[in-house]
Amino acid sequence: MTARRYWRSREGLTVVATLAFFLAVYVYPLTRLLAWSLFSPGFTLQHYARLFAEPAYFRAFRNTAEISVGVTLLALGLGYPLAYLMSVVSARTRAVLVVLVLVPFWTSVLVRTFAWMIILGRRGLINQLLTQWGLIDRPLALIYNMLGVQVGMVHVLLPFMVFPLLGVMTRIDTTLVTAARSLGASPRQAFLRIFLPLSLPGVSAGCVLVFLLAVGFYITPALLGGEGQVTFTTLIELVVRDLLDWSFGASLSVFLLTVVGVLFVLFSTLLGLDRLTGQGRA
Amino acid sequence: MGGTPPGRRVLWATSIATLVFLCAPIVIVVVVSFNASEFIQFPPQGWSLRWYRNYLGSRQWLDPTLLSLRVALVTTVLASVLGTAAAIGLTRGRFRGRRALELFFVSPMVVPTIVLAIGLYLLFARFRLVGQPLVLYLAHTVVASPLVIVIVSAALRTTDPAIELAARSLGAGYLRTLWHVTLPAIRPAVISGAAFAFLVSFDEVVLAIFLGGPATTTLPKRMWESVRYEIDPTLTAISTLLVLIPIVILGGVELVRRSARGATT
Repeated sequence: MTARRYWRSREGLTVVATLAFFLAVYVYPLTRLLAWSLFSPGFTLQHYARLFAEPAYFRAFRNTAEISVGVTLLALGLGYPLAYLMSVVSARTRAVLVVLVLVPFWTSVLVRTFAWMIILGRRGLINQLLTQWGLIDRPLALIYNMLGVQVGMVHVLLPFMVFPLLGVMTRIDTTLVTAARSLGASPRQAFLRIFLPLSLPGVSAGCVLVFLLAVGFYITPALLGGEGQVTFTTLIELVVRDLLDWSFGASLSVFLLTVVGVLFVLFSTLLGLDRLTGQGRA
Repeated sequence: MGGTPPGRRVLWATSIATLVFLCAPIVIVVVVSFNASEFIQFPPQGWSLRWYRNYLGSRQWLDPTLLSLRVALVTTVLASVLGTAAAIGLTRGRFRGRRALELFFVSPMVVPTIVLAIGLYLLFARFRLVGQPLVLYLAHTVVASPLVIVIVSAALRTTDPAIELAARSLGAGYLRTLWHVTLPAIRPAVISGAAFAFLVSFDEVVLAIFLGGPATTTLPKRMWESVRYEIDPTLTAISTLLVLIPIVILGGVELVRRSARGATT
């Protein structure tokens, strides 16, 4: 069916209402951002130039890259063994393990970040325990620094690594591994040369997804980061809230949106979209 | 094929450590919510329900809770209707650009919320609407609809369109087929999508803090304001409720889906 005939069909009509809503309340506001970033009132690129001119802004850029890469690698390091275990155990054990990942996944990000504040804060549980045991005299700085941001973000984003990995791993034909073993491969060889390469699509999809969510993440860096951890998103908030500089805030937003858009298209070509949320049925 | 037994043991150990990392913070919040002391201690020295009484006895927490419920319910209805309609059109139609349109419809899930919040602020500020509940209904529907679309589309792909064709060939009109054949077949998915839409809205922070005014403070916005300045133990009681709500709602939906699946197979 051509596009034109589709829109005149009844199926087309059911999409039109949603499409109209999205154009009005989703696309239009984002194009307004583009307009704000480019005109003031005449056409100008000055708001984008500032992004690269000021070292303070460039630092936010570098922080975001550093945090996002770190969080992605940590999530992969923790998520891969967990997903692998989930893919090899019995269906019943897997169901239990999936629930243990799903319950935190379903819990509000704000609640989980608050939990880390209770645990890692100056008068938090870890500092209380270490002081009680006499291991430290002064509380350790565990939040309002890079450590706090990364711990909090890995906690939130880890399921986004585990579920794409699990989706790919459960589809791997395990008879291939058995065949390798029967032909004399050691378990390590069978894993490294058969299972690992076959699981790589899940690795790349999980990494792109976690990275793109980390880049646009606001709540956890805002609550667990210190002054040295200004990220792209917290910079946007600072610029529009405290400096009331909407044009610059808009140009930062458009820049961030472009980065995320490219990553999103990359992700969708790496892995079917159904697995973006299809975790429950993975 | 999990390797030699010692390899298996290492795998289990690291996986359990990861699961503890994921679940411990939530368990800790729930446990300390029953703390009797003024300061958050773990393990608590004494037990009480004072933080729950604090929450239930204070308008500054109850009003935001009621507003959050209202916003979440309106969002659920809007997102379920719009999302299901879009899913039906997308999965039952064949046309060029469908894949791109699908991508477009799910893209709000990955667009940084703060970017969307600022765009919507600029839009609604022009109409002097910022601080009205309407703004929150609309904004939350944008971020909640994609989940409904994904979940309902997945269900539609597994139901046979031939049943719909059969109904049509037997004389049922398009709408009648939709109501009596298509929708009953995907009902569990629509309910599941609606549940997710409710939770997305009920837990949503960023849009709420940018688009909500003093008179439209949702529960997450109120929590955000509190947590930024001091750690009020009342938050642990509210957090415990926020941990339980998804478990009850999504767990319940999953049970319904299982029994529905059991009935059809």
